[in-house]
Amino acid sequence: MFLKIDNINKTFTSEAGNNEVLKNVHFDIKENEFVVIFGPGQCGKSTLLNIIAGLEKESSGNVYLEDKKVTKPGPDRAVVYQNILLFPWLTVMGNVEFGPKSRGIKKSIRQKDAQEYIDLVGLNGFEKSFPVKLSGGMKQRVGIARAYCSKPKVMLMDEPFGALDAQTRYLMQEEVVRISAHEKRTVLFVTNNIEEAIYLADRIIVMTNCPSTIQKEYVIDLPRPRDYTSEEFLRLRQEISSIVEFTR
Amino acid sequence: MKRLKINKFRVISAVTLCVFVLVWYLVTAVFGLFPKTMLPSPDSVFFSFIKKLTSTVPDGGTLFEHIFASLVVALTGYVIGVGVGLPVGISMAWFRPVDHFVRPVFDFLRTIPGIAWIPIFTVWLGIGLSAKAAIIFVGVFVGTVVNVYSGIKQTNEVHIWVAQIFGASKIEILKRVAIPSALPYIFTGLRVSLGMAWLGLIAAELLAAQKGLGYMIQVARNFGRSDLVIVGMITIGIMGALLTLALEFVERRVVKGI
Amino acid sequence: MSDRKEKTFWAVVSLSLLTIVWFFASQMESMKTLLPNPVDVFKFLVAGAISPIGQHNIWGHILWSLSRVFVGYTLAAVCGIVIGSAMAWTKVGEAIIKPFYLLLRPIPSIAWIPLAILWFGIDEKSKYFIIFIGTLLIIMTNVYDGVRSVDKNLLGAARMLGAKENQLFFKVVLPSAVPQIFSGLQVGLGAAWATMVAAEMIRSSEGAGWIIIMGQNSVNMVQIYAGIILIGVVGLFLVTAMRFLEAKLCAWNIRGK
Ligand SMILES: Nc1ncnc2c1ncn2[C@@H]1O[C@H](COP(=O)(O)OP(=O)(O)OP(=O)(O)O)[C@@H](O)[C@H]1O
Ligand SMILES: [Mg+2]
Repeated sequence: MFLKIDNINKTFTSEAGNNEVLKNVHFDIKENEFVVIFGPGQCGKSTLLNIIAGLEKESSGNVYLEDKKVTKPGPDRAVVYQNILLFPWLTVMGNVEFGPKSRGIKKSIRQKDAQEYIDLVGLNGFEKSFPVKLSGGMKQRVGIARAYCSKPKVMLMDEPFGALDAQTRYLMQEEVVRISAHEKRTVLFVTNNIEEAIYLADRIIVMTNCPSTIQKEYVIDLPRPRDYTSEEFLRLRQEISSIVEFTR
Repeated sequence: MKRLKINKFRVISAVTLCVFVLVWYLVTAVFGLFPKTMLPSPDSVFFSFIKKLTSTVPDGGTLFEHIFASLVVALTGYVIGVGVGLPVGISMAWFRPVDHFVRPVFDFLRTIPGIAWIPIFTVWLGIGLSAKAAIIFVGVFVGTVVNVYSGIKQTNEVHIWVAQIFGASKIEILKRVAIPSALPYIFTGLRVSLGMAWLGLIAAELLAAQKGLGYMIQVARNFGRSDLVIVGMITIGIMGALLTLALEFVERRVVKGI
Repeated sequence: MSDRKEKTFWAVVSLSLLTIVWFFASQMESMKTLLPNPVDVFKFLVAGAISPIGQHNIWGHILWSLSRVFVGYTLAAVCGIVIGSAMAWTKVGEAIIKPFYLLLRPIPSIAWIPLAILWFGIDEKSKYFIIFIGTLLIIMTNVYDGVRSVDKNLLGAARMLGAKENQLFFKVVLPSAVPQIFSGLQVGLGAAWATMVAAEMIRSSEGAGWIIIMGQNSVNMVQIYAGIILIGVVGLFLVTAMRFLEAKLCAWNIRGK
């Protein structure tokens, strides 16, 4: 298996007591598959992604990427963050080339590469801008270009459009479809927006409330680009919504 | 496991301090590398401290008399400085015409350190309490105004809109929205100014005084009594820290909800 | 831009008003000995720019003062950034440095003057030292806070992109602390200037502080006021220069305006 999530459990311990967040989470992802994790807020989606990224330690279980156990952060996985997290003191170019630069790749090579990804996400002409000058949608485009530019095997996207307005969000969803058709990658995409999930996914994994486990999986084989208003789309939306336990 | 680690660094801190005192002791008392007038040994500092509690040599006052004299001056200047600085800072930030007229003058005056006023204040007020308090006043006034001003200016505009929608008058918004939400800044200002007061006090006492901690270390220097200079410096540091602690205590009492 | 024009306009209006009030106040009988005529002060400054007061003309005195500040301040800035970083970024560094930092911080810079004179005599070295020690602790405090408040998630992001542990400090921590370090450098420069004035007033034979104290010794109110204005103007110039530098260096930071 390409990416294997093997029986992950996670409990946060603090003075206030134990908080069991993930329980027996177990699934596999094929190479170049676009998997969406869909679940209610605060159910541990970010925690799961952080464990796969190596930024958070699991309480038990294992993550394997191409049969190698994941223990710490590394450039074979890239994260696009819920709160974007650009380096504010670097320009767009500086942010995108950060990964290759840290690994000591020659300037001419890495900048040519970075330029390609900047063009791909549609930011041509903004290379020298600082993040403060960009809109939310443009910032997240930089985040996506930065992630792709470190040539990861797996893209981990944690509600990347959660902070955007609805209109920009639709636009960015189309962009993701376009970009991932162009750059074939294994993607694990987290969202709490059902339309976004159906629009993007090859497969949707639905999580339960805390402590979350996998509730159900759906394989989505609608042709792309998908139509939010098609009958099949609406039926899936109806079905998946009905099983998710949104709580207050 | 975690607790053990904390202890490890505590131990490093303690060892460093001990080594420091030991080296100090060795280079002074044992090897005598420095003349007594430059660097006293740590034990002589300690004994001077004990002695100075009751002795009036060489400056005509015991340690407590100097502390008391300094505190009176510093607190007088501080209270007046804060008392004037608060309303000035608030009205500069809240009323545009005041801002226009006062801000440039203030921006210029604030670059002049309080110490530079000493000759003028001594001509105006003599070298008694009022001249020294005036010097402290300048530093405290500037520190208070700067922080209060930026605090009020940063009052969340949303709060102000909400207050306006509910029909509050300008003065009322100031009293019930702007000042409370600027309280943390105001206290920062009070803390910064307290540091300024203490600094200004020492400066004033070095230049013109007959009592006080600044005067005490100045006289000690004239007599080449480095041990007393260090006793004085430590006392100045401790008193400054105590005043800050007292203010922080008040702050915690007042700024509870923020 | 018009905002700036408006500001300049009001600055001119209010400073002129201040001068006018000062002028009329100085004409009052009761103020004779306390407040000199601003015209005399202005004349004094113009004359002093050409012919010497004491050993130097005004430019010479300013140069002396600035050179003292420059030496003490530069040394303090370099040491403050290095020591502050070591204290904030490494646990051992914190354990070793912090006790001394906590002990020295509450002692105001000026309280070091007598000890500095005992240590270094009354020549330049003691002034450098006083300016150094006063500025050092201010800069250290800001560096410490700046390094400490680095966004942990940003560190995670850098690790994720393949930055090694030894790259993190220079590539993420230090740049993210730059605005705070800069505000420390700014406050520090103000403090260095003030400390310098104090040091010169207590012991020196030239410099801006000396002009004031000589004015006092020769009961020359005009000279005292001229000295104070000079100190204010140079201080204002230093602050403006720092702001300009900050705008250049921290262009990425909105707060850096
Ligand atoms: N470092 C931590 N220490 C303690 N508890 C944590 C920590 N990180 C997350 N949690 C808790 O774990 C639970 C899940 O958090 P997580 O951020 O993974 O949820 P999420 O599904 O991503 O939420 P959202 O939809 O808001 O992004 C929450 O209750 C949170 O309080
Ligand atoms: Mg999340």
